[in-house]
Amino acid sequence: MDSEDEIGIDSGNSSDDEDYDFMQVDEIQRQSGNAQDPVEYPFEVLTTEEIVKHMLDCIAEVNNVVEIPATTTRILLNHFRWDKEKLMERYYDGDQEALFKAAHVINPYVKPKRESKTFRCSMMEDCDICFLKYQYTNMTGLQCGHRFCKSCWVEYLTTKIMEEGLCKSIACAAHGCDILVDDVTVMSLLTEPRVKTKYQQLITNSFVECNRLLRWCPSADCSYAVKVQYVDARPVTCKCGHVFCFECGEQWHDPVQCRLLRKWIKKCDDDSETSNWIAANTKECPKCNVTIEKDGGCNHMVCKNQHCKHDFCWVCLGSWEPHGSSWYNCNRYDEDEARAARDAQEKLRSSLARYLHYYNRYMNHMQSLKFEHKLYSSVKLKMEEMQQHNMSWIEVQFLKKAVDILCQCRQTLMCTYVFAYYLKKNNQSMIFEDNQKDLESATEKLSEYLERDITSENLADIKQKVQDKYRYCEKRRKVLLDHVHEGYDKDWWEYVE
Amino acid sequence: MANMAVSRIKREFKEVLRSEEIAQCSIKLELVNDCFTELRGEIAGPPDTPYEFGTFLLEIHVPETYPFNPPKVKFLTKIWHPNISSVTGAICLDILKDNWAAAMTLRTVLLSLQALLASPEPDDPQDAVVASQYKENFEMFCRTAKHWTNSYAKGPHKFPDFDTKIQRLKDMGVSEFDARAALSRHNWDLNRATEQLFS
Repeated sequence: MDSEDEIGIDSGNSSDDEDYDFMQVDEIQRQSGNAQDPVEYPFEVLTTEEIVKHMLDCIAEVNNVVEIPATTTRILLNHFRWDKEKLMERYYDGDQEALFKAAHVINPYVKPKRESKTFRCSMMEDCDICFLKYQYTNMTGLQCGHRFCKSCWVEYLTTKIMEEGLCKSIACAAHGCDILVDDVTVMSLLTEPRVKTKYQQLITNSFVECNRLLRWCPSADCSYAVKVQYVDARPVTCKCGHVFCFECGEQWHDPVQCRLLRKWIKKCDDDSETSNWIAANTKECPKCNVTIEKDGGCNHMVCKNQHCKHDFCWVCLGSWEPHGSSWYNCNRYDEDEARAARDAQEKLRSSLARYLHYYNRYMNHMQSLKFEHKLYSSVKLKMEEMQQHNMSWIEVQFLKKAVDILCQCRQTLMCTYVFAYYLKKNNQSMIFEDNQKDLESATEKLSEYLERDITSENLADIKQKVQDKYRYCEKRRKVLLDHVHEGYDKDWWEYVE
Repeated sequence: MANMAVSRIKREFKEVLRSEEIAQCSIKLELVNDCFTELRGEIAGPPDTPYEFGTFLLEIHVPETYPFNPPKVKFLTKIWHPNISSVTGAICLDILKDNWAAAMTLRTVLLSLQALLASPEPDDPQDAVVASQYKENFEMFCRTAKHWTNSYAKGPHKFPDFDTKIQRLKDMGVSEFDARAALSRHNWDLNRATEQLFS
């Protein structure tokens, strides 16, 4: 379910545009019916300003109930990863003192003992950082009572923010004191705009990253975040057009589940071609374990490792000695160990072949998808050309629609190979593979039609063919996804892991 | 160099000079150059440890952003300790990294290092070989550490059997430090040390 947006299309005139939008809404509604279940998955795309506002709203909401300073609320909320309910629960159920201690703040209900200090107002105080003497008013500190001069505070905060990239976990500068510096104090002490901006960026970022219901759009250079009402593996569409899974942040990957996709991506990263080749095409000397590639010659191996020089049989990996003097006849000798070594090698080879089968197809669709932007621009040219052949703007929209569907199908197909890799064979998996085969061949056909040159003679013909094909593809894609979802509901799928 | 760093160091100097540890000769601090960025520290090995009666020199580099960033400290005197590299003298100590606080001083750093000599943290090692020896063969560790203290930090304990083995390797053309390090790493097993040095 990809791109409901208008990539690369120059809208012709405004009224058509409205029609088009209308069509899109229609399509979205229809597509949400395709999703895992018919319940809608509401989400909001937030700009950076909206995120800040949302953060302030959260604080205000909690403050309506528990009456503590907003700065303390923020630190507490952060401690609970912005889970308001959990904070309230702990606040009213448990030991408040322990709660404040765990969140590294001083209990705001306990009045700091300032009386003893009032008489110092006229006196000079030592700053423990720069070791200079200051007027009482030039010194400041948190509720913990550790006081430093203001310029040292500024230096200290600037170092923490600019060099260490900290925002919520800046503690008091005293040794061994873990009381956190609140945001109001930070903002009132800082003077340089550069540092202030950075601090606010860090605060916003940590708010989004801590909050389970928020996620940054993972596409490059996008500054939007998506907010949901509950976490689920569902597709969300950012304002930048990127469609991703809210749960795992990967590109939307129906029909495969987040867990298997993550496993697959890790496997692809880990299994370099080289290590696989070594595993499948070489054997280890049974005695000294040096890796050997056999590039010719007979099966009587003599290990070239100077310290080893072990004689063994390449076929059964057993010692060469019992293989007889003249003719190689490995069948006679079948020691269990040798058989086990052979089996292991065999297994490795076939599992590599299996992995490569799925990997190549997966990569193939991914590569094709990467060319989608090229296809969009070439289709745009074609559409302009056709409009010169006396076709109206609306009549040529089928081409863009065809590319949309092509991309959706490729995206789905790509993920079906991950799903299939982990799938254990049964009757339903065979139906799935048939669906996959069908969708794949139709998708390739559609792709081929879109590559063709369009002339005024074949235009009507091509339009018909493309439309038929994309409708077919769309239908087959839905069938395939519905079948997989049905399988999730009815527990058809078994996995090999 | 930043003004604050310089004025801090100047004042810290006074603090160290006034401190009672100086009076007891257990820590020392001196300047290497005039711009207060390079200093030389000295700590006495704490009593009842293999480092007792030894004197350990430290190289202290004060960064521009001091005291908001920790000073860079390493041992100049070779030492056999789980949290200090036996080769480079690099130190693994939390207050010299994440747990540095701006209100700490060179005096507290020196005292913390002295405390580290008294109570190593083998589960958070800088030198894995030393740490595993500490955990698996504590007596061997103590002897080795005393031997190093004697060889590099003017400690009083001599181990003639160790010296003989080192001499054997030196006769084969190995430098004294390499011989000592290889033997220490292999629990003073001459054969294994030789194997490591010549393989």
